[in-house]
Amino acid sequence: MSEEYRDLIELSDFYILSQRYDEAIKILKKAEKIRKTDPRLYYNLGIAYEAMNEAAEARDAFRLVLKLDPANKSAQEHLDRLIEE
Amino acid sequence: MAQFVVIGLGRFGSSIARALSEKNFEVLAIDREESQVKAMEGIVSQSVVLNATDEKSLRELGIGEFDTAIVSMGETVEDSIMITLTLKELGVKQVIVKAKSELHAKILKKVGADRIVFPEREMADRLAQSLASPKIFDFIEVSETYGIVEMVAPKKFANKTLADLKLRDKFGVSAVAIKRKIPVSKPDGSTDFKEEFVVGPGGGDEIISGDVLILLGRNLDIEKIRKL
Repeated sequence: MSEEYRDLIELSDFYILSQRYDEAIKILKKAEKIRKTDPRLYYNLGIAYEAMNEAAEARDAFRLVLKLDPANKSAQEHLDRLIEE
Repeated sequence: MAQFVVIGLGRFGSSIARALSEKNFEVLAIDREESQVKAMEGIVSQSVVLNATDEKSLRELGIGEFDTAIVSMGETVEDSIMITLTLKELGVKQVIVKAKSELHAKILKKVGADRIVFPEREMADRLAQSLASPKIFDFIEVSETYGIVEMVAPKKFANKTLADLKLRDKFGVSAVAIKRKIPVSKPDGSTDFKEEFVVGPGGGDEIISGDVLILLGRNLDIEKIRKL
């Protein structure tokens, strides 16, 4: 995992916790250009979209997490909640 | 505490019985099918196998003492009419009945039903509404022209305070509350949300992307915000 990629993911964590979701998404899209196989990236993307009430995008992101990491319990819980809404 | 009796434990009846029990109401669940009654054991206060068209059995159960009866026998039109009539005669204050058709509803009203519900139609209306306006979660009609709406804040509102937005001056609507999801980091590295509710927000409150606004105003003005 490159240092640049790791920094981008950490920055997205910070933006999410600061409720700056647009910025988190921008950073995560940038990270996606470097690496497309990290469930953490799509998990953060799902969280940011869910917080913004962008349910369709959030569902897509959590589905990608589960494709890459089928045992991810939290992604499954978020996805279930979004489907039942 | 209000007491409810639910007659007919199909999909709708069992769901309403369960929902009322979860709200800690005393619920008596009745069905003529033993399997349906068994499925409610431990969920509701009491469940009984009984043919509710039999007036004597209902009387012996003391049905007249219940505040509200919910009759969910949509498939058997005649039975639900008979049961409604009996429940009113026995003195149940409020009888709510699931209807299958307009004609069914008309007859139910004639025999004393206090409220008729069409669960499938109501659910379909809600789904259609949410598909037509995905950003609107709920709408309560206050009068013909005024309503309270629960909607996702338009993107243009993000990072602006209510004072900046001047909702009352520009749109004629008032923000009654703001509902917000706050991300919380958990020890296992996952993230969850806790909900924050700002009631009666002031001019200094800032809108964050994804906030849900509860607005009160004329329907026409609310519509203008929805279209932003």
